[in-house]
Amino acid sequence: MKQSLLGALGTAIFLALWEALGRSGVLGISWPPLSDVLAMLADENRWPLFGRALGATLASTALGYCWGTAAGLALAMLAHLLPLLRRGSDRLAAVLNSVPSIALGPIFLVLLSRESTPAAVSSIHVFFIVFVSVSSGLARATPAHRDLFAVLGADRLKRFRRLELPAALPSLVSGLRLAWPAALIGAIIGEWFGAPRGIGILIINAMQNFQIVLLWCAVVLAVGSSLFFYGVLTMLERATYERFG
Amino acid sequence: MRRPLVLRLVEDYWGVLLILIAWEFWVAINHFNPIVMPTPTAVVGDLVANTNVYLSNVGITLGVAVFGLVMGMLVGTALAVAAWFSPVASGLLNPLTVLFSSVPVVALIPVIARLLGYDISTVLAIVVIITFFPSFVFASSGLRQPPAGAEDLFRVLGASRLDLLLRLALPSAMPNLAIAFKLAAAHAILAAMIAEFLMGTTGLGYLFAETKAEFRTEQAFGASAVATIISAGAFLAAGWVEKRVRERYT
Repeated sequence: MKQSLLGALGTAIFLALWEALGRSGVLGISWPPLSDVLAMLADENRWPLFGRALGATLASTALGYCWGTAAGLALAMLAHLLPLLRRGSDRLAAVLNSVPSIALGPIFLVLLSRESTPAAVSSIHVFFIVFVSVSSGLARATPAHRDLFAVLGADRLKRFRRLELPAALPSLVSGLRLAWPAALIGAIIGEWFGAPRGIGILIINAMQNFQIVLLWCAVVLAVGSSLFFYGVLTMLERATYERFG
Repeated sequence: MRRPLVLRLVEDYWGVLLILIAWEFWVAINHFNPIVMPTPTAVVGDLVANTNVYLSNVGITLGVAVFGLVMGMLVGTALAVAAWFSPVASGLLNPLTVLFSSVPVVALIPVIARLLGYDISTVLAIVVIITFFPSFVFASSGLRQPPAGAEDLFRVLGASRLDLLLRLALPSAMPNLAIAFKLAAAHAILAAMIAEFLMGTTGLGYLFAETKAEFRTEQAFGASAVATIISAGAFLAAGWVEKRVRERYT
């Protein structure tokens, strides 16, 4: 209780500091007071703009999130069932994760289209996190459990479905929670390569046209939506740990 | 017995090789103009032909990334220690850390660029911010998990709060800090590169943006390939460090 009170206080101090710094103007016009940003966010005339941008970005993020999760799950399960492929798939995931996102943009632009580049970049981010977390989760079943399954005559596939997959669930949901901000970042970067609309476009345009308050609005929208989904996924994670942890 | 090198290479890198081969054929079959999409062999050719251009930019990006990584980890650990000393500080800081660890940091790059100017200090600031969060989060949880009973022993033997920190809490946080280091090391290069791409005047990210705009696509991909190799190398090297630290401190 005391901790959460202090937490609320900490957040309040942070927001008050933001407002005070903006009002005082010590940081120049680049740091507008929080109230100006909130006022623009509340301006009904701007809602269609914000709505379109946020909608496009969230759609790309969600699509990339699903594709990345599917690919990460598939490769992790394949590597788990075929140990010969394991080392190679670890390296593949590490190398893919090391490719700068800004280099992925032009590749997907040619491979797919302007509209689907954000989702594609975002799926690569998600893929790595899900692959790593599922791989370590699948290895979590203890030797004692494995022996028990062997004694009771379960074949490889049954052991996989009944033992290893449920044991990997907690890691999977932890990975899913961490993957959402990464997916959003991927979508925003992907949008820089010619997407018709989105938060990333809003950020770049506002930056180049010195529309500082608009820039902050876009950032607040990105952060807010990220926090919302992060919170939802954290609750999912808690529920999963209680059941399978 | 060691197997032949080729076999081990295929076993370790079949995925990467598969992608490179598919890429080479995909470009050849579609007859893409090299401006749109160069082949991997053309990119390697450019890496060999213009090594000097790459080397000077690698130096800059690597320098910023390493310096930022060290600063970010120092600040993160220092704040974690402050939070360890004072429950009030920890209460104030905890929700903010959760807040910031879920923030898409690239969205902050333009804001920081407006504050610090369009130069290398912004790139440095981004790297510090990106590496700060994992080290704060992991150091905080590491400081709070000393071996069971050890803290009581220290109290009974009359250790001061500072002794407790230096001889118990910090050593037991080392494995966690090593994990943070592994996470942050690979991201430091990539974060530096995105920041340079957006507003830099030097470095690999800038080289990428500039050559891309001038339709020298081989060199743009060359810059990305170099960044990929450095970042993957950093990830593997940091993994090795993490293993050593874990063996030493647990």
